[in-house]
Amino acid sequence: MRDKLIYGAGIFAALYFVRNLYVILLQLPDEAMQGAVYRIFFFHLPPYFTAVACFLGAAIASGLYLKTKNWKYDVFAVSATEVGLALAAINLVTGMIWGRQQWGIWWTWDARLTSALITWLIYLGYLMLREGIKDPSERAKNSAVLSIFAFFAVYFTYKANEWYRTQHPGPVLTIRTGKNTIDPAMQAMLFHNLGAFLLLAVVLVAVRMNLEDSQRAVESLRRRAHAIA
Amino acid sequence: MTYFNQVFAIAGKDLRSELRTKEALNASLSFAVVILLLFSFVVDPDSEMLEQMSGGLLWMVFAFSGVLILNRGFARELPNDCLDALIASPIPGSALFFGKAIANFALIAIIEAICFPVFGILYNLTWTAQLPVLVAVSALATWAMATLGTMFGALTVNMQLRELMLPMLIYPMLIPALMSAMQLTTLLVAGQAIDSEHIVWLRVLIAFDIIFTSLAAVLVETVLVG
Amino acid sequence: MDQRNFEYMFYGLAAAWTILCLYALLLTSRGRKIQSEIDHLKRMLDSSPKK
Repeated sequence: MRDKLIYGAGIFAALYFVRNLYVILLQLPDEAMQGAVYRIFFFHLPPYFTAVACFLGAAIASGLYLKTKNWKYDVFAVSATEVGLALAAINLVTGMIWGRQQWGIWWTWDARLTSALITWLIYLGYLMLREGIKDPSERAKNSAVLSIFAFFAVYFTYKANEWYRTQHPGPVLTIRTGKNTIDPAMQAMLFHNLGAFLLLAVVLVAVRMNLEDSQRAVESLRRRAHAIA
Repeated sequence: MTYFNQVFAIAGKDLRSELRTKEALNASLSFAVVILLLFSFVVDPDSEMLEQMSGGLLWMVFAFSGVLILNRGFARELPNDCLDALIASPIPGSALFFGKAIANFALIAIIEAICFPVFGILYNLTWTAQLPVLVAVSALATWAMATLGTMFGALTVNMQLRELMLPMLIYPMLIPALMSAMQLTTLLVAGQAIDSEHIVWLRVLIAFDIIFTSLAAVLVETVLVG
Repeated sequence: MDQRNFEYMFYGLAAAWTILCLYALLLTSRGRKIQSEIDHLKRMLDSSPKK
């Protein structure tokens, strides 16, 4: 049942992306200054928001794990972090390609770029910590603590960098700017693609959670094999 | 025994055992001097550039050599199962944490107290013009290193790759604190006071200390006891 | 559609989808590896004499 639900959601996400791509490539008006390249933005901001949602979810699940010691939360935390890392990688790479075209450089040590890279490295450290601890309950406990620290650090880095100068384009969404500076069709498209990415993230997290469950099954089988041998 | 006595008992124990053997301190100090020397090849030592980079250079030195000290913090307790004995002793986990953080803070402060004059001599800089403020800024940034380092020392103490994991985990997280310390130190070493443009860095530093010290104090019991 | 900067738009979208596909492939290959390990361990446990 659960597998069927995941498949169904996956297919729905794929169709949603096809529909979004159709609108993005064939229906949306062009941006006045940038030409076609602005369309990268639909694959730049939505993955970022989705990644932040994943990291926030992982931090909350980690807190709940420490409170309840329920394995499910640990499984969710690691899955969400990993998916978040993949999405943050999309955000970084698409941003770099856009920067190469618009700024003429792949990378600049600008506040937002730097904080995005720091975020990525912090969560990479989370996965490395998990790799390094053998005992399952200690691994779950320590990585939960790290996940909570990481989220605070990410928020702090983001804020600290905001006070610093930035050449990254400012916020565009109407809720952030309070003005209608963005074409409504483009803004609607951003939310549509955000929806598609969120759905995709849910599917990927669910798949990754199944994987973690199987991994646990392997570990317990191994222990049994050891006990017999 | 009051809470403060417990904290200082732990800190005193750590400092005594370190000052008697000096194993981490000597290694860390010679490492710091070697990096200070290496920087003379990175940037022309007589140029104006150096003054603009002084904060960055110094805090790189402290961050690199500080990790050697932080690594020893909990690893020191591993032989003879001392860590288990400490956890079983009737003091709260946060007292153990603050004791160790204070000891780490003091040891890194010793390194800094030696590195500042050595830096001044080797690179012909008068760095004492804003000494009291410089000491305060260094103390804030060192405390940031000490809390995060002690906390993550506790997280990684049972790992095989502990000496590699600790810097991997704390450097990215420390960036806001280190960045502020670098900006402010450059300013202060050049003899200028902290103006309204730079006060924001001081705020970042103080906020960093408050947030991560309280977070660590809340979570350390879980890490140590489980 | 405006043809300006079309090339870089293509690179950007291609990169985004490549990363997603790589991650999906990573997940399936890991899943397959774990499944074969489970099968292997189960066979081992079934064949070994119970104590």
